[in-house]
Amino acid sequence: MQDIVYGSAGLIVLGSFGVRYAFDEETRTIRAISVNFDRCAGCRTCETACSAYNHPARVNGQRVKGLGNPSLSNIRVYHFNPDVDVPSTCAICPDAPCIAACPVPPDLNTGRKALYRDEKLLTIKNDPQRCLACGECAKACATQRGGVIVPNEETNRPERMCTLCDGNPQCVEYCPFDALAYIEMPADRDLSGLAPEDIARDLIEKYYNIHIEEDRL
Amino acid sequence: MIHGYFGKLLEVNLSTGEIKDTPLPEDDLLNFIGGRGLGMKMLWDRLEKPGVDPLSPENPLMFLPGTFSGFPIPSSSRMCVVTKSPRTSPVRASYEHSSTISYSNIGGFFAPELRYAGYDGIIVTGRSDKPVCIKIVDDKVEILDARDYWGMGTDQFDKTIIRDLGDRQFETLYIGPAGERQVPMACILHTAARAAGRGGTGCVMGSKNLKAIAVKGSGMPEVAHHKDYLELLEKIRRSFMEKDEGVMSWRNGGTANALTSSSKNGTQAVMNYSRGSFGEIEKIGTAANRKKVWKRDFACFSCQLACKKSGFAKGSYAVMVHDGPEYETGTMLGANLGISDLAGLHKLIHVADDYGVDIISIGNTMGFLMEAHEKGLVDTRYLDGIDLRWGNVEAALQMMHKICRREGIGDIACHGVKHLSREIGQGSGDFAIHVKGHELAAWNVPVNNDWWAVTYATSNRGACHLNGGTPQAQDEQALEDSMAACSFASNWYEGEVAYHHFLSAITGADWDEERFRTAGTRIFTLEKMFNYREGFTRADDTIPEKFFQHAFQYGDHKGAIVERGDFKNNMDDYYRKRGWDPTTSRPSDAVLQELGLAFTLKG
Repeated sequence: MQDIVYGSAGLIVLGSFGVRYAFDEETRTIRAISVNFDRCAGCRTCETACSAYNHPARVNGQRVKGLGNPSLSNIRVYHFNPDVDVPSTCAICPDAPCIAACPVPPDLNTGRKALYRDEKLLTIKNDPQRCLACGECAKACATQRGGVIVPNEETNRPERMCTLCDGNPQCVEYCPFDALAYIEMPADRDLSGLAPEDIARDLIEKYYNIHIEEDRL
Repeated sequence: MIHGYFGKLLEVNLSTGEIKDTPLPEDDLLNFIGGRGLGMKMLWDRLEKPGVDPLSPENPLMFLPGTFSGFPIPSSSRMCVVTKSPRTSPVRASYEHSSTISYSNIGGFFAPELRYAGYDGIIVTGRSDKPVCIKIVDDKVEILDARDYWGMGTDQFDKTIIRDLGDRQFETLYIGPAGERQVPMACILHTAARAAGRGGTGCVMGSKNLKAIAVKGSGMPEVAHHKDYLELLEKIRRSFMEKDEGVMSWRNGGTANALTSSSKNGTQAVMNYSRGSFGEIEKIGTAANRKKVWKRDFACFSCQLACKKSGFAKGSYAVMVHDGPEYETGTMLGANLGISDLAGLHKLIHVADDYGVDIISIGNTMGFLMEAHEKGLVDTRYLDGIDLRWGNVEAALQMMHKICRREGIGDIACHGVKHLSREIGQGSGDFAIHVKGHELAAWNVPVNNDWWAVTYATSNRGACHLNGGTPQAQDEQALEDSMAACSFASNWYEGEVAYHHFLSAITGADWDEERFRTAGTRIFTLEKMFNYREGFTRADDTIPEKFFQHAFQYGDHKGAIVERGDFKNNMDDYYRKRGWDPTTSRPSDAVLQELGLAFTLKG
């Protein structure tokens, strides 16, 4: 699995603690969930699939998928008028402004802040034991990227970072319209790291030739 | 204990402002399931006497998701709006306000969100003295002032309300200016295109001064047999994901595919049902729309068929297309009016949606007026100067504005063809295409009339194309409307993934095939008893005279007509199968008792 994730050559090694991530310097690609906005029909199957996997149930002591409550999903589909649908999910940004914003000092053994990049799939995770619930990560995501990471309403700890479902992202697995893919893609690809509103304005102009001013959606 | 429900409804009395939870009796859920069935049971319980004015505060307006709503079961999160109809009336009225039940089905995302908020439905009673909205965030419910929104078209409102709520997770339902003015054929919209279109539910909502409902929730209903449910879900999802020809056909054209096929088969409503085929149908069919207008396909919650189409129509009628034409809107505002100007058709659909009016009924009504005009029964002065002729987009637009604003001739026409034909007289009732006062839809009757005549004549909400032409088909439709399943997807739910297996896994009750079918019969029969109590009898279970008198003069199916004797025999046969009295159409006491409807025999 890791071979595929890391790609060929030129892996960047960040910092002094050996934290690597899936950003191939030579090809400038990352591996995350890619959205094909032309195909999404807005059915929200991805939300229920994400939620069912990441919020499992326990039946007779056995761990099984949950019922898929969409409000617990990491991926969200936003509807707009004029009609476009924008699935929005953590881009697992190579430069991760959320981690940069985390004020918790790196652990001397692991090099991890409270918000850190997991070694296995290079996803972004939060350590609730060390998290200060300051919300700086969510702020960084909202101001510098798409605003996917949000603080939990009760605990104020960050939520909705993509887990990649242990390597088999369920949103991709169940998308009926092949609008989602788990692939290597250019880090600077079109519409990456933008807020759903910005993406929607772009799509509305493209599909319906209707120009919408900022803040008017 | 029964699972899969919250066991409660949100009840809002707009006269007093009281907001409360109303518990749902478990027996009602076991016997009537949800959605349409549950709505019928509650309407029966709440309207103890016949003849209640549908536009009075007493008439409850109910928004009822089904048992499946909110679960990601493909194409199964719809909702029924149930109330007493402002559209229907019997041949011989026993009461001033005799009318049938009205149930109207809507897809999209409102029903699942309502369930996530923790409710199996909403009952709105009373009447507010000023325009209001209901805002629901889980168990926090508020009645908000909506005066600033009154008069706003649905497209603008759809955008504005989300901006004002400041959260795109809200799902909203609303009426347009037609509902506000209590145009009887007004409907309720969602996402500026999806509609609880038929039966005048928007008029009832307007009569309560209720502009909109917005809901956002964070919960989820539970299931009884978790692993069984997951297994069923996995199987049905995979079967849709095979993307067979059926799936791809829905995605390509939705019901618009039927525009051309129905025209070919002679089953289309053309020029007020005078013809079954439209020579210019290709101009407004799937291929033309794919080429010129449609840009994107849209699905309802957890649906893989994506039959809704959006795009942009260019030219003098340039307009944003939120949906359509699908078969009904394309036929009723296209073929039925002799209109083949594609952008013009899109403009008509858009304007109708923006007012929030039932496109089937308004298209049917304008077709009736065109025929009356052509026959010289009315002149342009009667039509407020509008030159209403076949194919005239501009005239149809003008008439649509009149009807939705209730201005001049529109104030008469907004009541539909039954009322209009009484005003105009001169035998125009023969070509007023309605049953029980509710206009027929886009499927014409003479070809395949064994099916279509019975379908329209016996529908409990007045003429309805979705009713089904046999008792079995009708009962199945009633079940789908009660579980919230979309009838477009029912073909995939067969064998080991049949609906009743899902119902068992979710509720924990043992739903076998027979019990399931009986529930459908129970629901349909209670509706019938409601109508019977209002004074509807066999004389009301008929079809318009035109189908007996006028044979098609055009197309491959020239000469098609309904024989009176055939119709009578088919209806006799229908009543016999149902166990209903062929003279009065009343279900027999034995049938009622067998179905657990003995309570209808009291009083």
